Amino acid sequence: MDQTTTSPQTTHKARSFSFSWAGLLPFLLPILLIVIWQVSVSAGWVDSQLLPSPLAVIQDGIALWQTGELPKNISISLYRATTGFVLGGSIGFILGLANGLSMFSRRLLDSSIQMLRNIPHLSLIPLVIILLGIGETAKISLVTIGVMFPIYINTFHGITSVDPNLMEMGHAYGLSKWEQFTKIIFPGALPTILVGVRYALGVMWTTLIVAETISSNSGIGYMATNAQEFMDMATVLLCIVIYALLGKLSDLIAKALESLCLSWQNQGGASRE
Amino acid sequence: MSNALVTLNHIDKQYGDNHALKDVSFDIQQGEFVALVGMSGGGKSTLLRLIAQLEQPSAGTITYSQPNLVTRVMFQDGRLLPWMTTLQNVSFNSHDAKVKARAQATLEAVGLSDFAAQYPAALSGGQKQRLALARALMADPQLLLLDEPLGALDALTRRNMQAFITQICDQKHLTTLLITHDVDEAARMADRVIVVKSGRNVYETKGAKGQDAETVARVAEEVLEVILAPEQAVTARA
Repeated sequence: MDQTTTSPQTTHKARSFSFSWAGLLPFLLPILLIVIWQVSVSAGWVDSQLLPSPLAVIQDGIALWQTGELPKNISISLYRATTGFVLGGSIGFILGLANGLSMFSRRLLDSSIQMLRNIPHLSLIPLVIILLGIGETAKISLVTIGVMFPIYINTFHGITSVDPNLMEMGHAYGLSKWEQFTKIIFPGALPTILVGVRYALGVMWTTLIVAETISSNSGIGYMATNAQEFMDMATVLLCIVIYALLGKLSDLIAKALESLCLSWQNQGGASRE
Repeated sequence: MSNALVTLNHIDKQYGDNHALKDVSFDIQQGEFVALVGMSGGGKSTLLRLIAQLEQPSAGTITYSQPNLVTRVMFQDGRLLPWMTTLQNVSFNSHDAKVKARAQATLEAVGLSDFAAQYPAALSGGQKQRLALARALMADPQLLLLDEPLGALDALTRRNMQAFITQICDQKHLTTLLITHDVDEAARMADRVIVVKSGRNVYETKGAKGQDAETVARVAEEVLEVILAPEQAVTARA
């Protein structure tokens, strides 16, 4: 009998041990940075006025939460981000769909959209402030413009990249145009569309930060700018951490959406006849 | 009396300067298994695409025994939808209970009922082709068109699938057109073998379906000889 054979139980234990380490790995670097940061401030290597410790930032967060300022500003920023994302995402998706499916629409619109897409949307801030002021419409419009193009490009590219052989199969099997869209074109384009969604979520936060920093009297960006004027470094850092956490949350939502809609991509390991 | 399901009359097909088919005429009888065999680029697949009405001929006519003849193509690459399970591929994800039940029965007929919930990526090459066949059979086609369906399979799976397709076609009395470059496959599976060479149907002979290995080998040899012969010699023989 082969003496070197490992028992299934041992293998299982080894696997779960390595799995738990793999699960912790993404947290290792942030934890290490926070520890170094805390130690540097506590040991006096860094001026705590210039860089408050993580504990001071947390305490500042708790205090702002208790006064109601933090939840109010987070909810305003979330409202602007989601409204802009839904509007920009819908416009980008509809335009991508129209130009992907119709040659007439593509000829009419694509050239103009490509021209507009190449204008950095943040350069529109002065124009938006002059036209729309510093109210909600201005900030939501900027997010809308920023989000629209990645969703447009990915929807358009996704639809035009669907395997023509599958389309031909659908035609040969007598599928109606609607059935071809729902059963072949849209599912075929979905992986690319979701890449656009993920990218657009990043653009959404970047645009909002800039918009709230330049022209606002509420929101996380405003909190950071206001704190900067009072040299309140703890709040400035708190705002940066909140943006990082909201960004991570968006990414997790995008990933969850991908694993929900694209579960078929993880299937494999062909069986043998 | 002729009982032709499909009749091709003097078919020509041109793609720019490329004359892919030249004056091709033949018919396919009801219930017959016909194999079109020849070298790659000879025009076999173009003929199938014309019969399937995926393209139109440049000249000539294709006549069907009835206006809405149900035709299904089984493609070489399967063309399965990777985002649908095996069952959904066969039923095109229909929510109709009757269609689902029929799809389940069709999967059972091709031996894939245990794989109904699997995605195509989890199937082997042979299983994928069985699935493509099941999808083609779902509509109860009057004419089944097989476009080199076994070309990508290993020799053993290919042999099993040849027997399987022949058996299914016999059971369902299907009229079938097989496109292949494998002379053994054509001889073994078909009632009639037509050789297509340089865009013309140059020769035809009786197939050896259901006959012994010696007869299959003899027919295959006869067909191969025609394919490899110089064009003038073939024209004289035909």
